Amino acid sequence: MTNSVLLNNIDHQDLKVITERSPTYGDNLWYAQTFPMEFKSIQAYYPILFNKDPNTGKFFPLALFGFENDENLFLSDNKWTADYIPATVARQPFLIGIQTLNEEGIEKKQRMLQIDLDNPRVNQTQGESLFLAHGGSTPYLDKVADLLEAIHHGINDSNDFIDALIEHQLLESVTLDITLNDHSKHQMLGFYTINEDKLNELSSDILMSLHKKGHLQAIYMTIASQANVRKLISKKNEQLGL
Amino acid sequence: MNKPLKKIVIVGGGSAGWLTAGVIAAEHLTNQDSGLEITLIESSDVAPIGVGEGTWPSMRSTLKKMGISETDFLVSCDATFKQGSKFTNWMTNTNDHYYHPFTMPQGFNDINLSPHWQPFSDKISFSDAVCAQSHLATQSLAPKQITTAEYSFAANYGYHLDAGKFGQLLQKHCTEKLHVKHIIDHVTKINSSENEDIASISTKKNGDITGDLFIDCTGSASILLAKHYQIPFISKKHILFNDSALAVHVPYENEQSPIASFTSSTAQTAGWIWDIGLPSRRGVGYTYSSSHISHDKAEQELRHYLAPSMGESAANSVMIRKIPLNPGHREKFWHKNCVAVGMAAGFIEPLEASALALIELSAKMISEQLPANRQTMDIIAKRFNDKFLHRWGNIVDFLKLHYVLSQRTDSAYWLDNKNEKSIPETLQELIKLWRYQPPYHYDATHTEEMFPPASFQYILYGMNFVTEPLRHQKRLIQAGKADKLFNDNIKQTQQLLSVLPTNRELINKIKKYGLPKI
Repeated sequence: MTNSVLLNNIDHQDLKVITERSPTYGDNLWYAQTFPMEFKSIQAYYPILFNKDPNTGKFFPLALFGFENDENLFLSDNKWTADYIPATVARQPFLIGIQTLNEEGIEKKQRMLQIDLDNPRVNQTQGESLFLAHGGSTPYLDKVADLLEAIHHGINDSNDFIDALIEHQLLESVTLDITLNDHSKHQMLGFYTINEDKLNELSSDILMSLHKKGHLQAIYMTIASQANVRKLISKKNEQLGL
Repeated sequence: MNKPLKKIVIVGGGSAGWLTAGVIAAEHLTNQDSGLEITLIESSDVAPIGVGEGTWPSMRSTLKKMGISETDFLVSCDATFKQGSKFTNWMTNTNDHYYHPFTMPQGFNDINLSPHWQPFSDKISFSDAVCAQSHLATQSLAPKQITTAEYSFAANYGYHLDAGKFGQLLQKHCTEKLHVKHIIDHVTKINSSENEDIASISTKKNGDITGDLFIDCTGSASILLAKHYQIPFISKKHILFNDSALAVHVPYENEQSPIASFTSSTAQTAGWIWDIGLPSRRGVGYTYSSSHISHDKAEQELRHYLAPSMGESAANSVMIRKIPLNPGHREKFWHKNCVAVGMAAGFIEPLEASALALIELSAKMISEQLPANRQTMDIIAKRFNDKFLHRWGNIVDFLKLHYVLSQRTDSAYWLDNKNEKSIPETLQELIKLWRYQPPYHYDATHTEEMFPPASFQYILYGMNFVTEPLRHQKRLIQAGKADKLFNDNIKQTQQLLSVLPTNRELINKIKKYGLPKI
């Protein structure tokens, strides 16, 4: 469960956040949500796939870290072994809350920084401080605030991307068949990827409109990221000593 | 005679007219010059009857083929998921009940589980033992999740829907997407050609409408087949007595009241009451035999049924609509260049909701077997007539079975239903056979049988019918396989119970997010 509250420099003056990466802090993730604005960094390390939100049935892009629940092949000795950590993972334990304000009779929605006080990273003794002694925010907290803004805009943009993929029937379900060095076979079901046959059939008008919105680049980075599946398999072999 | 068939004229709107138009149009390139031309003439004076609120699972593929989004359909037709029928008080009138789910028994293609279940019939009902679906019914669970793609399922389903809204959606889709021409006008005359084919139909404002094939969807009026061609009507009232219905709309207690995922059928003294849950209301009605009960008494029984769920005073004041029914069908359905679909072809009481299914099957066969020209039409017509006479027979036998197996003796209606003279010979023969062998694949004598052997099993064993056990070695060897399937069913049931949302929860989510296309 989460216990999210608005962050403020009075109640949370002495809070610190542990930034090391380990299963203790919930980093044993199979995958995490991503968005096209960070695809450039993501596709350098992770396969990009798509999945449905169990609560809404809506598709979202994800960065894959392992082959089964709780398996993150990028975790080792309390460190994340890739140079880029996806934003939705790096943001922990912070999140954005929407607050409705009434300014001179006009309702305004404002994004506010929240912190999950029940997250095991949150404590008062070790890690990064949030506030300076006089109450101003630390460079760490400023970075986190920027990150959350990026996620907010990134996911809005991602929803447009998904709508375009669905409109042009560019998603298809995919089964990953994995054979490890000991010849054991594993199958990963339930994910979706870009339907390249459909992509190749698109008219130049549609390709142009996808390009103008920046979706075409995201589509090709998604396709290119599939090469990372092989890297994930190597990591798995390595971890099993195969 | 060799002139290619180009123009189809459908007379009458409603579910029959628009479903037929949509099914044919979707398959025959109505958007191209080389394709078919389909015109639907609908009178503004005739209101569609608007009953038939339950469908079979076949409606999923019918809608999908027509290119209708399931989300649009569910939202605009006030529709929800139907997973089968629940029968209450049909056996002994002691609050007994059983289910006829849409899902086949486990492993049905490989093994007939019914003889393996029979020794345990006092411990677990047939449907509970062989499939997960009746377990879902008790909690009003949906057959899928919000992540399940349109028209896919975790448990097989059809729909409960608002028939009026359904007609409107189909009309919109047919005219806007499938290029069906829509004429609202009154038919004044039917004009014959020399060979007694229908040459054209005269209308008040649009003149004469010519066509190569005319489809009669004019409901019980049956303007083309019955009035024009005088094709006789074969009454089935001596077998299936129900000739009247009283229908009513019932509001829910509140916006979050559960929506039942099975059509509820509760037996009464002279018929039965249907109870269908839509997202915004329930549709309830009593179908009965006017030879066995007066309309006033029937109305009393219906109000008595409604009282517990809507309160005494509301139940006594709610507006009830009376609908006459005439059980039976035409002697044939395709004559010359005219074929009847829907109530113009026939109607049998709504038990097991066969009306829309028959329309779908008729439209499908017309579409897939569409005669290339007039020369081949009589051959197709003969096939069509043979096929649908068999299907009507199958429906009559299947519906009658529900009454024959009842042990009720509390009214003349139930006693008369068991009178041998009222039971078709074909059904008597089947019941005789099933005393010694359970229905299975050999009992499906035709392709696309209206009611497959699995359905007969659900009714027979739901109603405590006993098939004498066979003492065959061969069957006993299968016991291990059967045990495994029974255990699989328990596991599958637990899994579905833990992940499926309620009908209400899923419908609310679909309104908000829509179902994914893939």
